Amino acid sequence: MTLTPVGLEHYLFVACLLFSIGVFGVLLRSNTLIILMCLELMLSASIVALIAFSRFNAIEGSLMMGGNLFVLFIIAIAAAEVAIGLAIIVALWRRQQTLDATEITSLKH
Amino acid sequence: MMSSIAHLALFDGVAELFRAMDAASPRAHTSVLLLGIFGPLAFALALAISGKLEDRAVKIAGFLGFLLPALSGLWLWIAYLSLGVEGGYAFLINASTGLDFLGVSLFLGLNGISLPLYVMSGIVGLAAGIYAIQSGVERLRLYIILHLIMLGGLMGLFASIDLFFFFFFHEFALIPTFLLIAIWGRQGRRAVALELTIYLTLGAMLTLAGLIALAVLSGAGSFNLIALRVALMETGWQNAVYGLLLIGMGILVSLFPFHSWAPRGYATAPAPTAMLHAGVLKKFGLYGLIQIAVPLLPEGAMAWNPLLLWLALGNILIIGLITLAQRDLKLMLGNASVMHMGYAFLGIFAFSAAGIGGAVLMMVAHGLSVALLFLLADSIETRCGTTDMRDLGGLGNQAPVLMAFFVAAIMASIGLPGFANFWGELAIFTALWASASPWVIAPTVAGIVISAIYGLRAVARIFFGESATEFRGGDLRGAEKAAALILLLSLFFVGFWPRSMSDSIDAAVADSFPPAATFAPVAALDD
Amino acid sequence: MPSTEELQALVAANTWSALLPEILLGVLALALLAVDAFAPRRQPQTLLAAMVGQAAILAWLLFAVFTAEAGEARVYFAGSVVQTALSDWMRIFFVTCSLFTTHLALVYLRNREYPRVEYIHVSLVVTASFMLLVQSGNFLLFFVALETLTIGFYVLVAFARTSRFSLEAGLKYLVMGGFSSGILLFGIALLYGVAGNPLLPATAVDPLNFIELGAFIGAVGIDGANAAHPLVIAGSLLVLTGVLFKVGAVPFQIWVPDVYQGAPTPTTAALAVASKAGGFFVLFILLSGPFLALESLLFPVLAGVTAVTLVFGNIAPLGQQNVKRIMGLSGVAHAGVLLLGMLAAYQVPWAFHAVLFYLLVYAIASFAVFEVMAHLAPDEDADQDISHYRGLLKRHPLLGSALVIGLGSLAGIPPLAGFIAKVLIFVAAFQAGLYTLLAVAILGVVISIYYYFGWMRAAVLRELVDDGESGREPLRVTIPTKVILVALALITVVGGIFQAGLTKLVGLS
Repeated sequence: MTLTPVGLEHYLFVACLLFSIGVFGVLLRSNTLIILMCLELMLSASIVALIAFSRFNAIEGSLMMGGNLFVLFIIAIAAAEVAIGLAIIVALWRRQQTLDATEITSLKH
Repeated sequence: MMSSIAHLALFDGVAELFRAMDAASPRAHTSVLLLGIFGPLAFALALAISGKLEDRAVKIAGFLGFLLPALSGLWLWIAYLSLGVEGGYAFLINASTGLDFLGVSLFLGLNGISLPLYVMSGIVGLAAGIYAIQSGVERLRLYIILHLIMLGGLMGLFASIDLFFFFFFHEFALIPTFLLIAIWGRQGRRAVALELTIYLTLGAMLTLAGLIALAVLSGAGSFNLIALRVALMETGWQNAVYGLLLIGMGILVSLFPFHSWAPRGYATAPAPTAMLHAGVLKKFGLYGLIQIAVPLLPEGAMAWNPLLLWLALGNILIIGLITLAQRDLKLMLGNASVMHMGYAFLGIFAFSAAGIGGAVLMMVAHGLSVALLFLLADSIETRCGTTDMRDLGGLGNQAPVLMAFFVAAIMASIGLPGFANFWGELAIFTALWASASPWVIAPTVAGIVISAIYGLRAVARIFFGESATEFRGGDLRGAEKAAALILLLSLFFVGFWPRSMSDSIDAAVADSFPPAATFAPVAALDD
Repeated sequence: MPSTEELQALVAANTWSALLPEILLGVLALALLAVDAFAPRRQPQTLLAAMVGQAAILAWLLFAVFTAEAGEARVYFAGSVVQTALSDWMRIFFVTCSLFTTHLALVYLRNREYPRVEYIHVSLVVTASFMLLVQSGNFLLFFVALETLTIGFYVLVAFARTSRFSLEAGLKYLVMGGFSSGILLFGIALLYGVAGNPLLPATAVDPLNFIELGAFIGAVGIDGANAAHPLVIAGSLLVLTGVLFKVGAVPFQIWVPDVYQGAPTPTTAALAVASKAGGFFVLFILLSGPFLALESLLFPVLAGVTAVTLVFGNIAPLGQQNVKRIMGLSGVAHAGVLLLGMLAAYQVPWAFHAVLFYLLVYAIASFAVFEVMAHLAPDEDADQDISHYRGLLKRHPLLGSALVIGLGSLAGIPPLAGFIAKVLIFVAAFQAGLYTLLAVAILGVVISIYYYFGWMRAAVLRELVDDGESGREPLRVTIPTKVILVALALITVVGGIFQAGLTKLVGLS
């Protein structure tokens, strides 16, 4: 039995899977914490794709470090986003005692 | 042709003076034109930003603002005849406002078609202004300011050679109308103001689209009417663009079946607003068709003419019959003013210099007479508290002067000789006779009979018989009399000396319609 | 590995002074926090310093623009930062917006218990990010700047932390904003991957760079054009989706009404003006740069989006009673008109300048309206109803006239500047031959008159109702507010009659 070496398409498959889970999670789930996690999944999908592309597109003389560099920024941004998101969710919890997005609907003209 | 005017010895001296002024400074008359447009606007601005003012000061400032356009109109009329420009453009001024890259600039001037309307606009403005000042409504200052803005827009509209500013000034005059109706209108004003706003904005937007199309598709790269005359558009586009303009402007002129806003709007509007709108602003659409659409898009005009004929007949006959059924004086006048627009459209349909020239003269005459009628109807309402003709009656004894004015105005609107309206209608009839479908005259004459019926019946109902209402306030007061007199005298003046206007109209129209018949009938009848 | 010389050359290209205005804004933001922490009693002076600091940066930018010689785009940081005449103009625009937002915030926070300096701090950071965004020359700076300002906006939207409306709006904006960022980023990743593929023609050495990416997408190889590559199509559509989210185009507008309503008024203003302007400028950068070769794909997509945006944006506000929702939903309609201008820009060179003119006029009118809104807002900022405006013209003539002029300009009523802006876009669309979209846009204008008039009518006509509502106490309008309102109204009116100054500002002539 020979193992196929892990190639670009595998990484991309994982990335697409993560992205899809993220998108559908945001659209379908009603727990705000899970929605927040799904948002992070979407960012993670891009991180995987960027690193895979960086690694597999690199050839002699062209190192393709841009993607790796980008990922560092994305991690920082994701952290900031989560921090703000959690802060808002905590504040909302204090006022309304709920994490269910379907119950947070006071904004209707 | 201008020499025929010069045989008046009195005029000779005046003409010499005006020519000398022009020779001394070519800007002399142009500045009078600018004064006529921006004068009322400047007074409006001054009234708006000055703090507490005495009532008297507001009234005097307002009066001066209303007076300027009328004086400017008369001055330029004499100057135009003196300079002998033969229908062409005079008093030109071209100023950049920062839209040169589009070919848009503030290009002002008057030609034989726009001059009579400019003069009429100034006269109606003065009468409406005097009437507004004496009306004693609440928030008088805002009332005067809005009317001044409206008047400034109207003067600018007729003086614009640039299509963009032509539309711009129209909107300038239109917006205050909405506010005036919404604030000072009769019952149901909010609904009417909203209906009017939506309807007229739609018409204005279609017109705007048509004007932009005209400028862009002609390839002239300019919104300047004089430059556009040179560039002719392809036939296919001509039809589409003319259609846009006809419907857009048709809505604004209350062409059947886009008229439903007009009668209720006029009946609801305060009198000076109705005077300015029905008398002057509504002519925007007709003026646009005559000055812009028909000369620039002759093939489009030909293509749409058969439809226009039926719509115009709809205006005359259907609206005529509706007018007959009206019991409210103001509603009747509103409908009648819609009806008379049909004649002007028929003038365009005739597609000859006589027809178009007649339509221009008709617009001037109609503007003056309808303004007079709305003024008198409102003075009846203030005296009797109603305009329902079933309740009115016997006013002839209590207000003989009012009655005299009213009868004269009705006569004028029917088109009796001696009034300006006569010449307009006559020229249109002769043009129709010479056109391909002379049978149109039959229903048109029937229309005149209809207007005679409802006009005379209104006189009978209001001034004779018994009254069911209490009459207060006596006969016409000084200011009302002055306003009415200005309009009536103008009607007489043009009625007895139509060549003072028709010569320049004829020259300008002959410019745009080289193959068509001449404007001879009016000239011949005048001599 | 790059040689030392190469690295030194790279470092030498890092001309930090080119970004001094942004850096100074950041320093100002930090300094405000520090000063407030150590001298909380001196808060009025601190806030004044914030205004003066921004004004100084604005003055400097203006000076730099007017003394600069016209020329090529200036490229710094190895292509990350590209400064053009247009981006310089946008920087000025954003600093000006920031000044207005700061003033609005001071009005808003006057009677409320929320921290002041912190609001200004975040607002300044957001402004600096906007300025970097419009100068970005590659996707790295683009994304970082975009995310910095979006995250800043999360804070600003949810700033009224005791109001459930504000918090809910913050959460909604966070979810939708994060969602659109995720989509955008995935699109960038795909583009990065495909453009760096050594097997395709014209492989980019730095695929994140806009110029290299544009060259890659425009290249044609043996197997067909790169523009037809599925990953290019998918990536560009995802990126576009992300940007359309930010400008609030249909069908990505769902967040707009709720977020506009729940956010504090100054934040709503910043979202309506700065965020929209930034989004459209970014759209322009993308469409005219890397995505230029994708015209045949993107044009129909954008045309469809424009049509539905125009229809939705003009119908949705009908019947709305909350003025913040009206501003949000009518903002969608404005986005539609701006998109029409963007489409026209494919054919007509001056059309994008007309878009800038529209943005400028829209900003001026919007700030006038938001200033009035901030003064009339009840304690619960989200409950701003049309009925609060009854008889405003009588109650406070200045606020009333500023509101009427601002709304009139937004509705495009002559003789106000908004009318000219609309006409310019329409003429451009006409020259580009977009007749169907133009017809939709013109019908939209007619409908828009209806809801703007409802609001104006309340201010002009309805008499003051004495029902003892809160907010009926005399309005506090300070001298600076009066000056701002008069200036905004004056520009709107004069700009409608004499456009030379404004057209020159946006490079039209």
